[in-house]
Amino acid sequence: MKSEAKTKTASFDLAFYDRMAAVLNAWKHLGEIPLDKIPPHGMMEEITRLLYLESRLIDQRRLREWLDLFAADGAYWIPADVDYCDPRRTIAWEFNDRRRLEERVERLETGQAYSQIPPTRTVHLLSNIEGMLADDGLLHVLCNFHIPAQRGQDHQARSGWCGYIFRKENKRWKIVLKRVNLFDADQPQSNLSFTL
Amino acid sequence: MTTYSDHLPSLDHQPYQHLFKPGFVHRRLYIDEDIFQQELLYLYGRTWLYIAHESEIANPNDFITRRVGGRPLIISRHATGSIHAFFNRCTHRGAIVCREPRGNTKGFICGYHAWTFNITGECTSVPRRQGYGKSFNLAQASLQPVARLESYRGFIFASYSKDVPSLTEHLGAAARLIDQWLDRGEKEPVVVQNGAMPFLVNANWKTIYDNAGDGYHPPFSHESMLKVFSNRYGDVDMNYYGSDFDKSPMYSKNLGNGHTFLDQRPEMHKLSAWKRQHVMPGYEVMENALIEKYGEARALSMLNASTGSGMNLNIFPNLLIIGNQIQMPEPLAANKTQLTWFATSREGVPEEINAIRMRMQEDFPSFGEVDDSANFEACQEGMASIPEMAWIDIRRHQDTKVGALDPADQLWREPMSSDLHMRTYWQRWQALMNTGATRTLVEAGVA
Repeated sequence: MKSEAKTKTASFDLAFYDRMAAVLNAWKHLGEIPLDKIPPHGMMEEITRLLYLESRLIDQRRLREWLDLFAADGAYWIPADVDYCDPRRTIAWEFNDRRRLEERVERLETGQAYSQIPPTRTVHLLSNIEGMLADDGLLHVLCNFHIPAQRGQDHQARSGWCGYIFRKENKRWKIVLKRVNLFDADQPQSNLSFTL
Repeated sequence: MTTYSDHLPSLDHQPYQHLFKPGFVHRRLYIDEDIFQQELLYLYGRTWLYIAHESEIANPNDFITRRVGGRPLIISRHATGSIHAFFNRCTHRGAIVCREPRGNTKGFICGYHAWTFNITGECTSVPRRQGYGKSFNLAQASLQPVARLESYRGFIFASYSKDVPSLTEHLGAAARLIDQWLDRGEKEPVVVQNGAMPFLVNANWKTIYDNAGDGYHPPFSHESMLKVFSNRYGDVDMNYYGSDFDKSPMYSKNLGNGHTFLDQRPEMHKLSAWKRQHVMPGYEVMENALIEKYGEARALSMLNASTGSGMNLNIFPNLLIIGNQIQMPEPLAANKTQLTWFATSREGVPEEINAIRMRMQEDFPSFGEVDDSANFEACQEGMASIPEMAWIDIRRHQDTKVGALDPADQLWREPMSSDLHMRTYWQRWQALMNTGATRTLVEAGVA
């Protein structure tokens, strides 16, 4: 059963949580990006194109193609707090490894995911895109988002900022982490069953 | 069993009687703004409400603020350890005094005219006090405490009316189930300091309450989730809803005073709940790490105790214990409810166990609760918009004669899919609302 599950996935062991804590600490206290950490112009152009591609795939609900943007050990994280709390001891709206992310997409594909019948329409608007070179060839990218969302008669927007970690694999950037920081993450949220 | 409402004087004021008929309740109970306002007064104003867990204010001078039954409260702990709850409303002009969700402080200063209160709500200073004359009494300016405040094993309850029985009497048979929920595994203390998911649902609070004891919906509402899990992993958690689950050993039970219980433990914890648990991020690595540290038997026993409890314990009207979580439905309007899922951890267990508990408690909300919420909102829309169809059906297993007293505790139980929960709490609702309506009239000198 479980041992036969094919998907390679982020380990979510204690060492993983230590790395997450270090990343959160870095993002929480980030001021001006140090000159020696600023990515080359071409790299940022490449990443920006990738972010826009991701937005398009989500807005068109091409979630299988969207999944392909993630590394095998990639994680998708929507905290339920705005205080950079330790995920070992704090619940999130979602904290998915690749396996759970695939399950999430499979659920939406069953045709019985009533929270997405009809589906939520979104328009991802991105701004304030910043990059920062990190250790081990990783690239951190921060951006702000505004996502007008409409389902049935309900129309509202979700806003906040995203923290990404990218890694280059076979000449393509892959998402190692996407942390979606809703600016009102700790406040009552209505239907969040679409992709942010 | 007798309930304390049996001891109240008989009251002939029954303004809601026409909204009930056997097996059905009227849509107005879910959509009517006047009834909603009356519920805040007569029901939420006159019974025990769950307001917080003691671990949320673990240290001296800790406080939280929270709306319960519509009323903004400050819930605090004094240096001596005593727990206090009072209305978060300045005695002066009515302003919300404390505007932070939580913190640690010696006192509270109203932002309007700086009236100042200590951690127990006593007024300690009023600027330019001489302007109120010599008769002014500082003690009378203190923040108003709730009428009754009691705890049961860490769960803090309050009543806004003095006219309620003891908390123990109110909880009745539910207390023993709280014990069972707390005393799993090695009985490490349950801690409620792990964040929360506050869901905003565009539906009446009772639509959500209905579902908390509805053992009929899982295979249908959650078909998408169950399909993905069983396709991937075979016979995992909740797969037992695939067959005729009314023949399973799971059951629904009437605990009295409107409280009910759905017991999934006979299926979920039949063998190893951990082995049957749907995988969460870290499932394999954490299991391996624990086996390495503690050996297989001890590790598995800790892991089995980390899974969802298999209990749905519904304590009327605002405490729903489900899996490892504590839910508080908070009524916002006739058609709007905040349903907060508080995550829990255990003090003193290995770090791995609490990390697993966090990822596990994110599972159902994003795979299942989202569809529940969508169904609640669909119910609200259907009930509110079609006056030609007035009634809501709560008949399931009313006429099948399969209910029986549980020989173990003499409590009434019915099959898992029964509407027993709804029939039970609606009786309690009527008792509270009729009594509340009458007493309010009596107190106002009208009746």
